[in-house]
Amino acid sequence: MIRIAGWMALAALLAAPAAAQDRVIVRAEPGTPVVAAEVLIAVGPADEAEGKEGITYLTARAVTAPIVPLLDSLTAQLTVQQHKDAVSFTVIAAPDNWQEATRTLLVALFRDPVDSVATVRQRTATVAELTAREASPADALARQVDAAVFGEEHPWGRPAVGTARSVGRIAVREVDAFLRSAFTADRALVAIVGPVDRGAAQALQAFMDPGPVRRTELGPFEPAEEPVRRQYDAITAWVAAVYPFGEDADEEALRMLARLAVDHVAFGPLRPQVYDSRAEVVRHAGGGELRLEMVVPPREAEDWAERLSAAVAQYADEALSEPMFAERLRRYRGERLLELESPEARARALARQALVGGRAGTRLTELDGLTAERLHQAARSLSDPVIVFLGPFVEEDEEGGGATAAPR
Amino acid sequence: MLNLALALLSLAAAAPDTVPALPPAAAQPAVVVLRQPALPIVALRMSLLADDPPGYAGAGHLIQHLFLPRLEERMARVGGRVQAVRTSDAVVYTVVGPASELGYLAETLRSVLRAPAAGTGEMLAAAAALGQERGAEREIAPQYVRAALRAGLFPDDLPAAGTEAALARLNTAPLDGVWAAMYRPDRVSIVAVGDVEIAGVRRAFGELPAAGDAELPPLADTVRAFAADTPQATRGWFGRAWSAAEADPAALTVTARLLRNHLRRRMTRSAVDVEHWWTHHGQALALVVATPDSLVPVARRTVEGSLAALRETLDEPLVREAAGSVRREMLFFARTPERMADVLGAFADRGESADAAQRFYAAVAEVTEADVRVVLDLLLEAEPAVVYVAAQRLNPSD
Repeated sequence: MIRIAGWMALAALLAAPAAAQDRVIVRAEPGTPVVAAEVLIAVGPADEAEGKEGITYLTARAVTAPIVPLLDSLTAQLTVQQHKDAVSFTVIAAPDNWQEATRTLLVALFRDPVDSVATVRQRTATVAELTAREASPADALARQVDAAVFGEEHPWGRPAVGTARSVGRIAVREVDAFLRSAFTADRALVAIVGPVDRGAAQALQAFMDPGPVRRTELGPFEPAEEPVRRQYDAITAWVAAVYPFGEDADEEALRMLARLAVDHVAFGPLRPQVYDSRAEVVRHAGGGELRLEMVVPPREAEDWAERLSAAVAQYADEALSEPMFAERLRRYRGERLLELESPEARARALARQALVGGRAGTRLTELDGLTAERLHQAARSLSDPVIVFLGPFVEEDEEGGGATAAPR
Repeated sequence: MLNLALALLSLAAAAPDTVPALPPAAAQPAVVVLRQPALPIVALRMSLLADDPPGYAGAGHLIQHLFLPRLEERMARVGGRVQAVRTSDAVVYTVVGPASELGYLAETLRSVLRAPAAGTGEMLAAAAALGQERGAEREIAPQYVRAALRAGLFPDDLPAAGTEAALARLNTAPLDGVWAAMYRPDRVSIVAVGDVEIAGVRRAFGELPAAGDAELPPLADTVRAFAADTPQATRGWFGRAWSAAEADPAALTVTARLLRNHLRRRMTRSAVDVEHWWTHHGQALALVVATPDSLVPVARRTVEGSLAALRETLDEPLVREAAGSVRREMLFFARTPERMADVLGAFADRGESADAAQRFYAAVAEVTEADVRVVLDLLLEAEPAVVYVAAQRLNPSD
């Protein structure tokens, strides 16, 4: 009976019904203590001029910095995050003031001019943060993976937040112009989760334009066909296997596949040499990527790249038996649900679904229909991965004696 | 009746859905359920209200470390997680997982209600973990200041990680005797937050194991004086704490927030924390400040005069702002089922009724300037515990 109750409750993962054109997605949750509002504006690297990489992120920070004291006084929390296809603003506030907090944000985004002092301060802070980040191997791997998956000339092939150098060169007037031209109501949507009055939430429609979210069209990606090898001064090596997938891919099955695959290579008594491993499924309009990454001793990097690929391939070779699949699904179900345990995580998931797939009002997860066969077919649908190595690989080229990268 | 969420006190948007604590049957735990149907998950927090047996300080936390690896392994099978915390009031375990696994989660928690069977390897690992925690209280300034203040105000509230002498005893002590000295079914309470109903939770836990009858010889704990330690500090650290057993808890919480705001505005180059400590040992207001070495004399004067200075500047709007901010932070903190269970459970662990958290949340909104002045008067009359840690000088010639 308890199990039945759980399955029935899963059906409650439906967000509020919303018309296809709705820009405000409301998930009323009477028992949740706070309200989370996720505002997405579909602007990013594809909208940035050459030499102005990172202007989206800087603009987002500069335009929200002046409202932080007011949000603090409301005990509301604001987080700004840059994705490749959109910039995200997450507001978490108490039920009695979420409207004020969210409206303050939307007014700052769409009505307020840029504050020059705030912009200069944010530019300085962003440059300092990016300088620190650029020294991190995890960040270096992400840069190399993006370049390998999308191509170095593609807007998504470079860091979504820009570089310390590019951000440092952006002028205040350029931020102001970018705010007016790119942070526009026709690119925005908001997802609200918590104990909200549906009418009050829908009132935020006034800040959005009707119709589908406007996005900048992108050219095709050019994934690297050969493994990419980049020199990095460290005592460990980073290995990534990235599987691009198309628009019709079975995303939930791929998420499960990613976790199962990384379990095969994760640290454990049989694999003490693995320092770290992680799996991620990134979705964007038109498709996405299944990303597997691990940190291993440099001399074993090649071997682990093969084992990563093999971990995925075994699910394509043969479907799991039903008992084994049930056991794996039991674990995956819990992990997947716990990913969504905070209201802001649910707001982010709904907003991303609406932005990427135009699926406002669909489920938060698709766990109920997962089967061994779906998992098998999802693995079969993947083509060869893009492999990226980062670490102290010393490959002497014949002429110069310097370290070389594999051809791309 | 416990309302569905503290947040809804102000909105009254949902019907209450719990749970009078049933009159406890022979071996049934007290159960509080807060239904949150937003997601089919549940957080189960089980606490055993017990001090460590005299002479065996750290026993409760040692037992937690002995159980933890197996709990983690069990929870991984359902994609959930487990947390084990020893508070001043209770030995606490929290598991979070799918609501459809309620029975499995409850069984996982029930499995720790017995004496652990530990081999030498497990015992060594657990003792090492406790040793690290104990060392951190003595070696790292922020933890040292708090531990020393607590020892000054509440000498019976021994460190969760115990003492070296007690651990030596625990290495050879019969664990069934240690466990029997701590465990009784009527000391167990359960808080469940998530997509579950009271009947299901009660059914899942069923009857608890009976108490054991093994006995321990009565001993005494000896805690090494904090003054003998030299914690690491790159800044000067001040700690002051006032016992406030008689203070109204809601007013004391708001006073702590007011004092924090007051000092942060005046000490912009220092880190200031003001905390309301509230356990079954009593209540206190604790002030911990870290300040650059060059500002120590000024900071000392500011800290010493802080209560009186707050009293001078206090007015009703400041109290309203502080109370609102405390209430919103409670909601923010409790926004996941696990955290909400922690908030509700902390009240239950002090032996309060099922609706204590709700009443406290409401009481904070009612705190007035006069209430805060009463608290300040109490604190000003009390003798504070005082701790100071000087910044270390790596080069004595500097």
